[in-house]
Amino acid sequence: MKALIIGYGSPIRGDDAIGPLAADRLDRLLEQGALPDWIEVQSRHILTAELVEDLRRSDLAIFLDAAADTPPGEVRCRPLQADATALSTMAHFHDPRELLAWCEALYGKAPSAWLISAGGAEWDYSNCQLSHTASAAMERMIDQVMERLGLAAPMPAVSLGNLR
Amino acid sequence: MSRTISIEPVTRIEGHARITLQLAEGGEVEDAKFHLTQFRGFEKFCEGRPYREMPALTARTCGICPVSHLLASNKACDDLLAVTIPPTAEKLRRVMNLAQLLQSHALSFFHLSSPDLLLGWDSDPAQRNIFGVMRADPQLAKSGIRLRQIGQSIIETLGGKKIHPTWVVPGGVTEALPEEKRDSMLAMMPEALRIAKDTYAFYKTLVPKFKDEASHFGTMPTMFLSLVSPEGDLEHYDGFLRIKDANGRIVEDRVPPHDYQRIIGEAVEDYSYMKFPYYKPQGYPQGIYRVGPLARLNNADACGTPFADVALAEFRTLQEEAGPITSSFHYHYARLVEIIFAIESIQRLLKDPHILDNRVRARARGNRDEGIGVSEAPRGTLMHHYKIDDHGLITWVDLIIATGHNNLAMNKSIKQVADAYVNGKDVKEGMLNRVEAVIRCYDPCLSCASHAFGQMPMVIDIQDTSGQVIRRIARD
Repeated sequence: MKALIIGYGSPIRGDDAIGPLAADRLDRLLEQGALPDWIEVQSRHILTAELVEDLRRSDLAIFLDAAADTPPGEVRCRPLQADATALSTMAHFHDPRELLAWCEALYGKAPSAWLISAGGAEWDYSNCQLSHTASAAMERMIDQVMERLGLAAPMPAVSLGNLR
Repeated sequence: MSRTISIEPVTRIEGHARITLQLAEGGEVEDAKFHLTQFRGFEKFCEGRPYREMPALTARTCGICPVSHLLASNKACDDLLAVTIPPTAEKLRRVMNLAQLLQSHALSFFHLSSPDLLLGWDSDPAQRNIFGVMRADPQLAKSGIRLRQIGQSIIETLGGKKIHPTWVVPGGVTEALPEEKRDSMLAMMPEALRIAKDTYAFYKTLVPKFKDEASHFGTMPTMFLSLVSPEGDLEHYDGFLRIKDANGRIVEDRVPPHDYQRIIGEAVEDYSYMKFPYYKPQGYPQGIYRVGPLARLNNADACGTPFADVALAEFRTLQEEAGPITSSFHYHYARLVEIIFAIESIQRLLKDPHILDNRVRARARGNRDEGIGVSEAPRGTLMHHYKIDDHGLITWVDLIIATGHNNLAMNKSIKQVADAYVNGKDVKEGMLNRVEAVIRCYDPCLSCASHAFGQMPMVIDIQDTSGQVIRRIARD
């Protein structure tokens, strides 16, 4: 079993950073030995093509992202299917469903995948802070990740103030 | 009745743009224009910021070539500090620049242009994408992914992250290279070189099929601008500016980057947010030139690495006439040569006995009120020019972006392709794809050049002389 967690979003667009910040937190837990070593965590600005190489070696993929079309603070978890039509018109970033489709097309299989998203409240440029709403949502995102991983053990608390 | 065809957005490029073709009553193409429709204004909003913020600020110009801006900006800041950075820092910066070139060229060739090259310009547009390439030649797609991954891994190994690394700073780099990181990067090079050479060999077999495109895709006499090393060889980080004319005559050589304003002017047009740089002594728009892989190979006396030099010699046989390779279609070929060069050069730099030295940063305060940094980005020559006040705050910025240098050439190229392929009385998708494809040859990064923003569907409008849309073709 290998699980890959990818948090993605811009670190300078307010709540858009919730995905990578949640990934950073999970990565610290991994370093502390609070998560099993079959988990790999990546924090990304955007999803790029070469991630296919990591996805194809995974059984489970969990994407963490901010959502602009969800009420602020609401956390949603939904399965992702490979979708070759989810093409980005920009070449340097991709939809997670497109990357899964790359995996299927090139390697004949893709990991089972989930998107855990949190509705953001503030998206200002050059804003390197999460809103209180998003900060609170991060806890629930982490809970969802643990549930998907089948891990129920409580985790050590990490101060939200030290996240960035 | 004259008509206008508008292609918007141009697909499989970085950023958003529109192409308009003005048709005469007989259906022939009267005029063609490449428009950048979005404005971001980095030069203006950087004013008032401390100069040390400039590398981080200007790297945000783009998500695809932040490393290029990071390097040019830090070179401008080195100039403001009036320091010569330690030799090891320069070598490490070179490695990062070459890794950027590797991953960017891989994206352009394997993912953006291979659908046209492999499947054909007239193939079903629903299949003419990366998934079509995966079906037709899965190994080619895998090679592209792997080369990108290697390039990005090197950037991340050196800079701490793939996008917007902060390891390059004014005066050098923040940390020396640990031995284990050097070894991990070196270990990837044999595989990278094998992939690059295999791809190059494969592409050579394809080239003869594209004689027609090579004759019409921006096949025109222009000058070529690039950096060259002090010896006149291929150079991406430093050196001097060289300009060759269409006959191969060197018209400017050993021009220090500080003198760029003597030879480069910038014009503007009311239909685009991208500037129109030109060679000053010939005036605007006669002073048209090209930059990027094609220009670099045309200008260089040699590459200076074994396999790349063999490939360069073969590149020079692509046309029968003597002199520079004039077809922009051969940007693709030039990119593959440069990928080989980048891998061989990274290997050579990482094997340098001083690459692990600890002296990697010169420290100083602002010692000049003006700084200029020039380097070669994947798409061409990148120029950052800053002025600061006594407090180190930015008072003026000029950025001349690689894609911008090619603006005149791109406009001329789409006119040539439209003349050759577009029948205004019966517009077919394949015709318009060729018009887009000639732009893809230049691999423009519009986020950098125009600071484009947003997303639009592709719409082709055919208008009568009064501007009335008489036919619309939409692409989702």
